[in-house]
Amino acid sequence: MVNSDGQLFTIEGVAAGLIMLFSAYLVVSATSIYTPGDTHISDMQLEQLGSDALRMMNTPNTTATAGESLLQNITKKNDGERFKETFLTFCNSTTGGSYDNLQLSADLFYRDTLTKSVKQFHFAHSRNLTGGEHAVRVTEWVHLDLIGGDPLSGAAPGIDTRMQAVLMEVLLWRD
Amino acid sequence: MPDDHAYLSIDFLAGMTIFMVAFIWVATMIPGLLISLQGGTIDYDAVAYRTGVILVEDPGMPASPPWENKDDMQKDEIQRFGLSLTKDNPNILAPNKIERFFCSTSFSYPDDYQRRVIFGERPYSFNISLSTFDGMMNWSVGDVKPDGYGYIRRLVKIKQPSNATINAPAFRNSGEDGNVTGHVFSVHINCTQLLQDVRNPPYQIDPLRERIMVNISNLGGARVFEPANVITLNKIIIYRQNPAQPLVQVRTFDTSYIDGGNAASSLPVIVNDNASVIFPAGFFYGMANENSQLYINYTFKLSLQDLFFNNSFTSPYDYNYSPIRVTQPILKEGVVEVAIW
Repeated sequence: MVNSDGQLFTIEGVAAGLIMLFSAYLVVSATSIYTPGDTHISDMQLEQLGSDALRMMNTPNTTATAGESLLQNITKKNDGERFKETFLTFCNSTTGGSYDNLQLSADLFYRDTLTKSVKQFHFAHSRNLTGGEHAVRVTEWVHLDLIGGDPLSGAAPGIDTRMQAVLMEVLLWRD
Repeated sequence: MPDDHAYLSIDFLAGMTIFMVAFIWVATMIPGLLISLQGGTIDYDAVAYRTGVILVEDPGMPASPPWENKDDMQKDEIQRFGLSLTKDNPNILAPNKIERFFCSTSFSYPDDYQRRVIFGERPYSFNISLSTFDGMMNWSVGDVKPDGYGYIRRLVKIKQPSNATINAPAFRNSGEDGNVTGHVFSVHINCTQLLQDVRNPPYQIDPLRERIMVNISNLGGARVFEPANVITLNKIIIYRQNPAQPLVQVRTFDTSYIDGGNAASSLPVIVNDNASVIFPAGFFYGMANENSQLYINYTFKLSLQDLFFNNSFTSPYDYNYSPIRVTQPILKEGVVEVAIW
């Protein structure tokens, strides 16, 4: 006589295994869908804000000062402190009057005429990067008509004294 | 005798297979259900982002004549709100569009906004607010924000239109012919020159779309012989001259802000010192075009003969890009917040 006890145990085992596999699949797939979406949205909000701030700083308020924007003026004068204050005021302001808590670190990229390469020049920061920040990167091309007496010429050796475009790059994060 | 245990196992196997297929089918639907639940929050952020883009990067529809010129009777013709000055100037907002957008007597929350700026199939609740960094201007529309909502913040610049302040004694007439009771002062708006000399809209004086403000100050000091002379601003008449056409009277303007008062007074009105006239945005749109010359004639009447504020013997006051004559348009920083839930 054949004993059927073993058959039942096998099917129960297979059924339980399948249920466990699908439970695991369910959990893993449910988790992996939402996290990237949420991260992407908060990144997008920061990127939009940072890019708006640079664009607004690079838009002159009047035509009275020969059309020079605040960002052009700050860059020529190599005034990192003013850049930090203005940029953070722009990014942290809200309509309700409360203040957000965004931080920045800005670098300037220009063409070095001595080495004929692109050089990076640290321009400003509100606090040092520790590596743990989840920062987004925003950039803005700044048109400069540099002359020898401009502070940026002295601070960035090798930068050409002529009409040129330099790239302002800002890392922006929320504390 | 045959053993029937095997038949029982196969039945069980068939039943278990059907059960598992059904279970798998149901189980595979569950992530889909969860996605749609989770999608709510993601969707709010997406709708907030889209609304922010429409508001700060789009001038709205219709564009010509612009939607903000539509009065309350024509508001059904407005297809889309948008606050941007032009499509080529994102983040630069037009003040007349802002004032119209946040006008609670013209548009009701949420219906009028839902189908012109929020869009989407769901009846979203929202709050849209705008303020300048100096705190001088604050607008908002919508409900109080709950704990969780989709959100976007955009930085903008708001164009402040031009205005002219004319010191009356500097334009006093002279000679015996001028010693009369009736005096006319004319302001010339050369649409051709204004729209061609500066072509970048954020810095352009656009009389056809923007508010034009003329303040006349120190009128009392423009009297010469009779300090007790009573000055009456009688009427303001607008003349237009198009190319190859004669000068024609097109309209009168019947109100003025007198001596710093907050309410507009109807003409004729007695003036001691100052008279401000504000032509609202779009006022000249229907009566002139980009080739028109406009003349705003102020007619004053004195109780006694005197020399007075009068340029009818010389030339009209040119409303132009000279900062000495006209305070030029400037941009003011502000922030827009959109919350959707």
